Amino acid sequence: MTVLSNPLQDDQQFEVVYAGYFDLLVQIAVHKFRVPDSEAETLAHDVLISYLRKSHDVVALRPWLIGAICHASRHYWRLNGRTIAAEEELALDRADPASMRILDSLPDQLAAREALECLNPRCREILHMRYFEGCTVIEIAERLGVKPKYAQKLIARCLRRAETLYGDKGKLQ
Amino acid sequence: MSHEEKLFPFDRGRRRPDPAKVAEFAATARKLQQEREGAAGIATRLLGSTPFAEWPRLAQREELRNSGALDELSREVAARVDRVPLESLAIAELSTTIADSLAADSYPVVVLAQIRAQAWKDRGLSLCYLARYSEALDAFDRAEGYLRPFGTLAHDRAIVRLARATTLQEANRFDESIALLQECTKIFEDHGDTRRQLLCANAEGALLHRMKRFREACDAYLALLPMAEKINDRTLLASIHNNIGQSSTEIGDFKTAEAHVNQAIAIFTELGQPLRIAASELARGRMFVRRGEIERGINHLHAVREQYLRQNLVEEAGLCGLEIVEAQLARGASIEAEAFAWQIVREFTAAQLNVRAITALGYLSEAIAARKASAATVQNVRHFIRSLRKRPDAEFVATA
Repeated sequence: MTVLSNPLQDDQQFEVVYAGYFDLLVQIAVHKFRVPDSEAETLAHDVLISYLRKSHDVVALRPWLIGAICHASRHYWRLNGRTIAAEEELALDRADPASMRILDSLPDQLAAREALECLNPRCREILHMRYFEGCTVIEIAERLGVKPKYAQKLIARCLRRAETLYGDKGKLQ
Repeated sequence: MSHEEKLFPFDRGRRRPDPAKVAEFAATARKLQQEREGAAGIATRLLGSTPFAEWPRLAQREELRNSGALDELSREVAARVDRVPLESLAIAELSTTIADSLAADSYPVVVLAQIRAQAWKDRGLSLCYLARYSEALDAFDRAEGYLRPFGTLAHDRAIVRLARATTLQEANRFDESIALLQECTKIFEDHGDTRRQLLCANAEGALLHRMKRFREACDAYLALLPMAEKINDRTLLASIHNNIGQSSTEIGDFKTAEAHVNQAIAIFTELGQPLRIAASELARGRMFVRRGEIERGINHLHAVREQYLRQNLVEEAGLCGLEIVEAQLARGASIEAEAFAWQIVREFTAAQLNVRAITALGYLSEAIAARKASAATVQNVRHFIRSLRKRPDAEFVATA
C-alpha cells in the first residue's frame, strides 16, 4: 500500500496515488457498505478525483479518502433505496484501524483460507460468517447468542489471532 | 454456489483500476496543477489594475476562466471579507459568473461541481458579512445544489454547511445553526479534518455565548486552545482568544478576559485584520466599562467607533456607539448620552439604514431626554437593531 501523507508534489505521484488507494477504497465500499462492485469503483474514482482540488488543504490523505468513501457509500444507498442501518449498527460495522491493517496484510484468497485453517473452530466460524457469508456484526451476534459489542470484539480478536498465527506459520516455512 | 464463488473479501489483488479512469485522473491532476501554477498572482494583479466598477467585466478574461484562477479569487474573497466586505462580494460575484459559465466538459463533473460550489459558498459568506442573510442563504442553497448529486463531496458539502451555520447564527436562528454544526463536526472528524472540527467547536461556543450561557461558552473555548495551538492556525487561535475574553467579561472574570483579548489583538495585528482588531478592541472597551473604568472604556470605544466609520460600517459604528451611550448612562451623564444617541440617529439617517432602527434610536434619545432610560433600554435598542438583520420588517417594542 502506497501511503502519501503530503499533498501531491508532481505528475508522477498522481498515478501512484490512484493505484495505491483505488483498491482500498473499492474494498471499503464493497465490503463495509455492500455497494455493488461496478458502483464501488465509480465511487472510488470520484473520491480520488474530488481529492485533486483539495490536495493543498488535506493534511492526512488516507483518513480523508476513507472518510470520503464512507460518506459516498452511505449516500449511494440513500439514493438507491436501501434503509441505512442505525448509527449504532454502523458504528459496530465500522472496521477498526487494526482490522483494516490486517485486511491489508492478507492479500489474497489463499492467504485467507490458510489463515482460517490456523484458527480454532470458533474463530474460524466467526470469521467465516463475517467475511465469507457477509454477515453483519448484529447477525453474527444473533447467531452466536451474544451481544453485538461482544461479537465485534470477538471478530477483532479472531482477526488478530489469524494474523499472528498466519505470520508465525509463514516464518516457520 | 461454490465455496470460491462465495468467497469475496480477500480478493484484493484482483481489483485493477480501469486504465481509462487512471488516465482521466492523471490528466485532471496535471491540468489542475498547471492551472494552479499558471494562476499564481494573476487575480491580485488583475483586480489591482482594474477599477472596482469594471470588475464584473473581468469575467471575460480567459486567464481567469479556470480552476486555479478561481482558487486565487476565492483567496481574495477571504482576504477582503473582513476589511472591505463590498469588494469581497464583488469578487465573489465575479467568481460565480465565471464558474457558472465554464463549459460542461471543461472538467470532470465532480470537479466542476466543486468549483461552482466553492464560488457560491464564497458569495454567501461575503453576503453574510454584509448582514444580507437571506441572500447569503440563497447562495448557500445554490452551492449545495451543485454538490447534491455527488455523495463523494460530503466534505465540500460540510464546508458550505459550516458557512451556512455561521450565517444562521448571525441571523439569530440558533437551533438550526447548532444542528448544522453538529452534523458538520462529524463529517470533518470522519475526514480527519481537525482544523474545521475546531471551527465548528468555536462556532458552537459562540452560540452558547449568544444564548447567554457564558460560563459554558468560556469552558468550551478554553478546551479548544491546546488543539488550536497545535495545528497553528493563527486566525482561529486569535478568534478563540477573543471569544474567551468576551465570555470571561460577562462572568466578571476580568483578569482572564484582559489576558485573552490582548492576545487576540496581538495576533490579529500580526495578521493585518483591522475589522477583527476593531471587534476585539470593542470587547476590551466593554471590559473596561464593566470593571468600573468607565472613562477609559468610553475613550476606547470612541476610537473603535472611528475605525468603523472610516470603513463606512455605519451600523457597526452605531452599535459601538450604543455601548458608549450605555456607559455614559452608567456614570449618570444623561446629557452626553442623549447627545450621542441623537448623533447615531443622524448617522443612520444619512446612511439610509433601516427606518425601524432609526425609530428605535429616536425612542432611545427621547427616553434619555425624559430621564426614563436605563442600561436595559439601551440594550433593548441594540438587540432590536441586531435583530433587524434577521427580520428587517420587525416592529420596535419599547421597554422601560
